[in-house]
Amino acid sequence: MTWLAELRTSALLGTGRHAPPSPPVDLGFRPPDGLSREESLLDQAALADVITRAARRSSRLDTADLPDPSPPDDAPEASGEAARLLDLLLTQPPVSLELRAQLVTDWLQLAETSRRRVPHRLVAALLALADTKPGVAEHLHPAIGTRGLWLQVLTRPKDSVLSSSANVTEWAELGSADAAVELEGLRRSDPAAARNLLGKQWDDLSARERAALLGTFAVNIQTDDEDLLERALDDKAKSVREVAASLLDRLPASARAARMAARLRPLLRIKGVLRKQFEIDVPPEPDAAALRDGIAPNPRSGEPDRLGRLDTIIRGAPLDVWTTVAGRGPAATLALLDGETRVVNAILATAALRADLDWVRALFDVRKDVRLLNCLPDGERELSLVRHIRGGGVNPFALVPLLRDMPRPWGPALAEEILTLITAKNGGQLATMLAAFLPMALPLDSADRCRRLLERSDDDAPRRRVLRDVVQYQSFRQSLTEAFR
Amino acid sequence: MSIMARWSEERVIGAAPDESSIAAARKLARPGPWSDTGSNDVLVWGKCQGSGKTPYQVSVDLATPAYRCSCPSRKFPCKHALALLLLWARGEAADVGAETADFAQEWADQRGDRAAARERRQSEQQTDPVAQAKRLADRLTLMDAGISDFTRWLTDLVRTGLAAARNQPYGWWDGVAARLVDAQLPGLAEQVRAMGSDVHARADWADHLLFHAGRWWALTKAWGRRDDLTPNEFADLRVAVGWAMASADVQGTEVLPGPWLVLGAHRSDDGRLQQQRTWIRGPDGTVAVVLDFAAQGEALTTPQLAGAELDVTVARYPGSAPQRAMFTSPVTPRGLVHSLGEGCSIAQALELESAAVALSPWRERHPVLFGGVRVSPGDHGWIRDGSGDALPIVDAPLDSLLALTGGHPVDLFGELEDGRVRPLSVVVGEAVVTP
Repeated sequence: MTWLAELRTSALLGTGRHAPPSPPVDLGFRPPDGLSREESLLDQAALADVITRAARRSSRLDTADLPDPSPPDDAPEASGEAARLLDLLLTQPPVSLELRAQLVTDWLQLAETSRRRVPHRLVAALLALADTKPGVAEHLHPAIGTRGLWLQVLTRPKDSVLSSSANVTEWAELGSADAAVELEGLRRSDPAAARNLLGKQWDDLSARERAALLGTFAVNIQTDDEDLLERALDDKAKSVREVAASLLDRLPASARAARMAARLRPLLRIKGVLRKQFEIDVPPEPDAAALRDGIAPNPRSGEPDRLGRLDTIIRGAPLDVWTTVAGRGPAATLALLDGETRVVNAILATAALRADLDWVRALFDVRKDVRLLNCLPDGERELSLVRHIRGGGVNPFALVPLLRDMPRPWGPALAEEILTLITAKNGGQLATMLAAFLPMALPLDSADRCRRLLERSDDDAPRRRVLRDVVQYQSFRQSLTEAFR
Repeated sequence: MSIMARWSEERVIGAAPDESSIAAARKLARPGPWSDTGSNDVLVWGKCQGSGKTPYQVSVDLATPAYRCSCPSRKFPCKHALALLLLWARGEAADVGAETADFAQEWADQRGDRAAARERRQSEQQTDPVAQAKRLADRLTLMDAGISDFTRWLTDLVRTGLAAARNQPYGWWDGVAARLVDAQLPGLAEQVRAMGSDVHARADWADHLLFHAGRWWALTKAWGRRDDLTPNEFADLRVAVGWAMASADVQGTEVLPGPWLVLGAHRSDDGRLQQQRTWIRGPDGTVAVVLDFAAQGEALTTPQLAGAELDVTVARYPGSAPQRAMFTSPVTPRGLVHSLGEGCSIAQALELESAAVALSPWRERHPVLFGGVRVSPGDHGWIRDGSGDALPIVDAPLDSLLALTGGHPVDLFGELEDGRVRPLSVVVGEAVVTP
């Protein structure tokens, strides 16, 4: 045992139980005579302290694990006011944290447009923010520059590999959750490639994987997918068959849709002389072909869910079965379904899933459903909502989900209507519910109106806060735009 | 009186006690609520309309700096003072020329009177040699008693063993520290208190405690033989036990002219006390450290920018190099340098540390300028030099260092402490930056 180790043992146990070692003679250390055990140990501890500190050696690290230095940046650094504003947002945000994340995202996008990059000194703070704000993380590149990418790969290797060009062998080796993410990405950029990739691996996948991966085809579903989906209808796993059936619901021109149409047509009749109405029969017991198409079999005990079967058929069949039987357009056809809430719900879900605009418009007149609104083209979408609000009698809280998904910034008409609703007598609560996105949704022109509203005396603190957020966001956003000009 | 340079916005931000204050001040930093603003060589003043009827009266003394506001805020300086300074820094209000507002003048006069009274008191104290000698003798008696009490505690500590000490509650350490404070040995008390948490926080607690016990033991021995020590050795010992030197005593000593280059600065806050260390280097290569302290909630002096050359004169406290120093004239930044000069290798730095320990065994922190080191990841990060030597980084934002240096070799200034490096500034692209 070395001298130091003995000293350590003695100190840990205490000199009461363990005598201190004799001091190291070869260091030329000669203790005075007559020391007690404690004094001797403390003397030696003082010696050990000084020796350790005076004889410190550096560590030798293997240079192999030294990362390569960052390659040079090619884009010029954002400077002056733009850099100052980003610094402010990252280190001393003058706005709420939600607005901060949005403004940083705005900064990154403006930087991308003007081909500037984040100054190196702000890269670390930006990555730290992106760790908690996915909205910021999404827009890091390219504004974060070569240095930012280098640091991200170095310190967060997981986040930085988001390649959409999945290669078959590598992709096949991914875990199923990662594989689904990758495939969905590919599906977005190149649906056919995703289809080929899945088709090649199909027979080697477990049922659970087949179901999960096939589910990603909801993105960019197209007629060419039909073959694979038909094949999946014959799958031995129920979960895969269900995914395939629900995806085929989105393809009204498919063979399955035609089969469903053939099942639906005989169930529909128009009756009544003065007040015409649809009369709808429940479907018969499913045959083998119907079972294959996803219509529910008889349960082991109890009555079968016949209305559920009807829903399945409605969702699978083309919507023009209804207009053909009624001999009129969607709006008039819907009028014949008055009181048939369940059937209209099924039609609504189908129309929204297929984004069938004629039907969506007709349905939106009778049902203010967010799914319908989201199908409309941007301009029309906003117009429909404005018309709906102006129609009066609107429950303001039902508007919140509709407004949340509206493309931003809103047009002046919608902005005007919403500000009116907010500033109405009981608008404070609505204002609070819209707080998360109102600043980003209002167009630049409405900042002035908000500023005027703020100057008005108002005891409603939450409402003031929302309006203040709007004004702050808009004016900061304006500064950002000017800084990048 | 020289004209105080207009502060930069960064300097105002640096004076803020916390982020929320500066955020609140930004909102107030528009001309709207302000009236009767003005400034002269040393004062900035103005009135700010708050929610009440009478506007708040705000005055700032730029030299100290000191702040006063009639608002009830306990933040110091408050948002009104910060907002006023922001406006003044931007040149949007408080321009020179207006006659000094009554409230500002009154405050400045009161401060002047108080300072004069304090000086008078001090000089009276100094001029009474008998009373002074008695105070010193009383203090030394108290400290001697404290040291022998501490000596007994140390022998008890090693008799019962360090493992037993580790099982003691924090209050046990705190009690020892409190006795040391009573004996006017606050420097030792601080170390004992820190040890109370270190024995649980550190993986190498056993060696840490053993070596510190040895160091404390050596310190008690040195105290007993303080009459044999050289003035510098005694000064180092005084710092270690926490016997502060009055700044008035330092002011009378030799003054070194500038320009002084700011190598780097560090701020710490242990919950009771905030400390700021600013490492500076004079024209002849002398390195010194300026210490600033502030209680919780109070504002530290504005930090000096690393890489700035300061037109200022400096007086040094006694002790071995690098000495503690104080500014003895108003600080005027001259400009920024492009390089900190030639740095050393890691092996050389460790040799310097070794020499410094031999000179003053109490000192735990050594300033080092490293040349051409690469920052690399792993644990808390490492710096490595061309010859393959490496030192662990402590207490620094690693991502920020990596982002600034990109893994390329840079010159880096930092504090070498316990075999680890605390980076305070790096030279990147012809500029000195703080990680």
